[in-house]
Amino acid sequence: MNKFLGNKTAILLFTLPTIVLFTIIVMWPTMQVFYRSMFDWDGLSAGKFIFLDNYKRLFEDRLFYTSLKNGIIFAIMLAVLQIGIGTVLALTISNKKIRGRKFLRVSYFIPVVLSVTVVCQLWLAMYNGEYGLINKIFETLGIPYRQDWLSNGKTAIYAVAAVNAWQNMGYHFALLLAAANSIPEQYLEAAKIDGAEKWKAHWKVTIPLMAETYKFCFVLAITGGLNAFANMQIMTGGGPGTDTYTLTYMMYRSAFRVGEFGYGTTAAAFLVIQCLIVTFAINKLIARDRIVY
Amino acid sequence: MWSKIRKGNPIFKLFLWIYAIISVYPLVWMLFYSLKDNNEIFVTNPFGFPTNLRFENYTSAISQFNVPKYFMNSVFVTVITVVGTIVLAVMFAYSAARLRWRGKTIAQMYIVIGMFVPVQVIMIPLAILVRDFNLTNTYSSLIIPYIAFNISFSSMVFYGFFRTIPNELEESACLDGANIYQTFYKIMLPLVKPSIATMVIFVFLAAWNEYPIALMLISDEALKTLPLGLQFFQGQFTTNWGAMGAAMTIASLPTVLVYILFSEQVEKAMTVGSAVKG
Amino acid sequence: MKKMKKALSLGLVLSLTMALAACGSNKGNEAESSSSNAQEGKTKLRIYAQYSDEDTKGYYDYAVAELAKEMPNVQLDLEIQAQDDGQKLKTYAATGNLPDVFNTALDQINVFRQSNNILELDEYVDKLGFKDKMQPSALNTLYTDDNHVYAFPYAGNEMILLYYNKELFEQNGVKVPTTFEEMKAAIETFKAKGITPLSIFAKEKWPDVAFYDMFATRYNPAGISALDKGEAKPSDEAYVKAAQDIIDLVKAGMLPKGVTNLNYDQAAALFHEGKAAMFVNGQWEIEASTKALGDKVGYMYYPATDAATYESGKMAFSGGGNPGGYAVSANTKDKELATKVASFMALKYAEFKYTQKGSPIVSTKVDKPVVKAFDPMMEQLAKDLPNITSTTAFAWGLSNTKFKAAIEDASQALLSGSYTAEQFVSDLESAMK
Repeated sequence: MNKFLGNKTAILLFTLPTIVLFTIIVMWPTMQVFYRSMFDWDGLSAGKFIFLDNYKRLFEDRLFYTSLKNGIIFAIMLAVLQIGIGTVLALTISNKKIRGRKFLRVSYFIPVVLSVTVVCQLWLAMYNGEYGLINKIFETLGIPYRQDWLSNGKTAIYAVAAVNAWQNMGYHFALLLAAANSIPEQYLEAAKIDGAEKWKAHWKVTIPLMAETYKFCFVLAITGGLNAFANMQIMTGGGPGTDTYTLTYMMYRSAFRVGEFGYGTTAAAFLVIQCLIVTFAINKLIARDRIVY
Repeated sequence: MWSKIRKGNPIFKLFLWIYAIISVYPLVWMLFYSLKDNNEIFVTNPFGFPTNLRFENYTSAISQFNVPKYFMNSVFVTVITVVGTIVLAVMFAYSAARLRWRGKTIAQMYIVIGMFVPVQVIMIPLAILVRDFNLTNTYSSLIIPYIAFNISFSSMVFYGFFRTIPNELEESACLDGANIYQTFYKIMLPLVKPSIATMVIFVFLAAWNEYPIALMLISDEALKTLPLGLQFFQGQFTTNWGAMGAAMTIASLPTVLVYILFSEQVEKAMTVGSAVKG
Repeated sequence: MKKMKKALSLGLVLSLTMALAACGSNKGNEAESSSSNAQEGKTKLRIYAQYSDEDTKGYYDYAVAELAKEMPNVQLDLEIQAQDDGQKLKTYAATGNLPDVFNTALDQINVFRQSNNILELDEYVDKLGFKDKMQPSALNTLYTDDNHVYAFPYAGNEMILLYYNKELFEQNGVKVPTTFEEMKAAIETFKAKGITPLSIFAKEKWPDVAFYDMFATRYNPAGISALDKGEAKPSDEAYVKAAQDIIDLVKAGMLPKGVTNLNYDQAAALFHEGKAAMFVNGQWEIEASTKALGDKVGYMYYPATDAATYESGKMAFSGGGNPGGYAVSANTKDKELATKVASFMALKYAEFKYTQKGSPIVSTKVDKPVVKAFDPMMEQLAKDLPNITSTTAFAWGLSNTKFKAAIEDASQALLSGSYTAEQFVSDLESAMK
């Protein structure tokens, strides 16, 4: 077996193309990001090596903490909403007896299929303080809760994160459904024979068996939230003021609006490290052992 | 609590269907949008059925801008990206998840880093790379980075799926005298087919909607993809939003089709796959 | 499952053939086009310009048509300018791939001149006699602070105007405000009638900066440009007061709901349809507003703290010109030709604006007859122009990029209603450190 699974030619053939391509296209530029984060640099001229000064400045920068906080809010919103709703829907749909199952399954994924631009335009209209559907719904229900969802510094980040959470829930739904479907039926049946109710059975049997999938769902949701950019760019432009900045947005601002490319890459470098730590932690926390059924 | 919800609880059913409606509505909204004028879109009727069906929005979307050309470019770039990404990622993930070599967890971790790198920040180094390889203004200048960026997530997903396959399968294949390539192709690939179909959808979407890289690396009108073409509907101060909606609708059609087609495959593959395993 | 395999392999084959076909045809095209170029003896120049709506297309198409008459051997290869904070142009510069001629603003000029990507145009200005073609009052749009020329300007000294709907004011018996007190009274009356007092497209950040500048110039005529040049501090009384004035008016209900998410179409619709009484935009809005509201629309001088400051400062306008326009890449092959084309484009943009857009506000002299007569508001502005005592700058004319980004964010926050003058000052100060 060792020889069979340790076939050097096969390993090289399978991994080398990916590693080479990835190293050249993604890692080489990323390494330059880390290197350039130690420069006072406008992105074009030679630049000046200042070692860790950019990092010092970063940790004193108010905008950095705003961005960091927003990234964390975004990540938590995504993780809770997407994985929570995704789990409930995936487990329900994995039951073949649900009526309208096919329609439901296709529907839940639709928002993912649309481009971010379309979805953001829709939600801009939904959130609109004057004509927005959300305020109208509150009005119809007789709740005096008219809000300037996106123009209010306190609600804006939640409103934007909700759009992303809603749009990309389908990803998690699809991944979790695939995982739930590939669990052999007899596991649940065995649990059911024991008299456990279905959801309890899911909680005890199905969900633990899906740990491997949950791992990348969490990685996807949390790093997606920390990295959020497109939603802000289209919906709020980071505003009102700086209230919906995230680290990627801050990087963009420094690099392109201010022209401090070196400082911008510092924020980006911090972001990459932050995401790596999170991924590492998730891998440590969830299912250390391989699951086999 | 869960047990109550399960037993055909009408509230839970209602939730399932309401959520489905909320999910499908954007598609309907986009269709409506594409048949309205600016005033209706923003002020008088942002959500309902258009009062006046303006099909001319579609004509102006197609005639004013090079939509058919953009469309073909998007198809081309996306299809190659999907094929390239899936092939590379499946091979890599199989190797990292199941073959025995030193440093494989590190290698897997290494590839995953690609998920965290904000594309905006490596744009300039990437553009320089593309220039140095003489790829400026070619399809490859999009396809190669797209593949490289999509490999991270795909291989992570495949890795997860490969790890849930029991070891006995390879052992028995080995005993039957199959070599590693045969095992990979004939035994392993069919087992991860559902996840391949899932990833086809994901990578397709990512490549189809990709905008920042295309904006930076493509300036030749003949090579522009749809998101890039759409961007220029949006003027600095005024825009024909209805025509933009029409173009967005045209641009979204393939993604909806690909999804419906491949999710069907996921379903079928699932049923077969679990039957085999059971 | 078999189907899927088939589909996949079919896809693979298809894509490969397409790839081959594409490679083949690409090369074919190149060869073809270069030979046909040689035949016609045309020189190709890449140009980076705005071309995304009726307005910008009008300018470009006019200039290109004129160019075809004047220099038939030049063929322009247009790349449409992206709304991306200069990201694309900067990437081009980093890869040594800047278009021969490009439309640019002051902040980009500053970056590019440090990295030697932009051609210094002094000698060409002399050769082409461009300085003699400038309006004497617009020379500030030609020279940057180091007394060099980097771009051929066309826009001239544009102004921020506070537009108002005369009819709405008369119908509701509201006095056109000259002081902030009167402004508050106007806001209350309009609000009571369900009319939005003032509309502004605050999603784009430059109108927010302009709006803040309108208030700042009531206390210091140099407004934000004094901050930009480091001649004043954000904590100076003038700037704190201006921020506070805006906060007070926002609290009073001056703005529509969700103002920081309104784009031009949405904000202008409110004003053009008589749902908003006032509107903030540059003087180029005169054309659109006149078209929508006819003689009901006018502009007022900015209100101030009291009648005396109003009177003394009413000719201190916000806005102004700045170096910018058509620039030339330092790496262009034929510098003579590229500069000639760049200056020609700039002149024709000004000509189009003057003759067909009904605006005398341009950088260069125009000797062609006017095709579209000036709107009444433009006539009034033309009368005001010689009396203007001072101007400042638009956001895109600021030269300190740190300050520019900070004031853009902070002025937008002022309009959100949940921001204090202290935050405003401290955010500006911390960003400019």
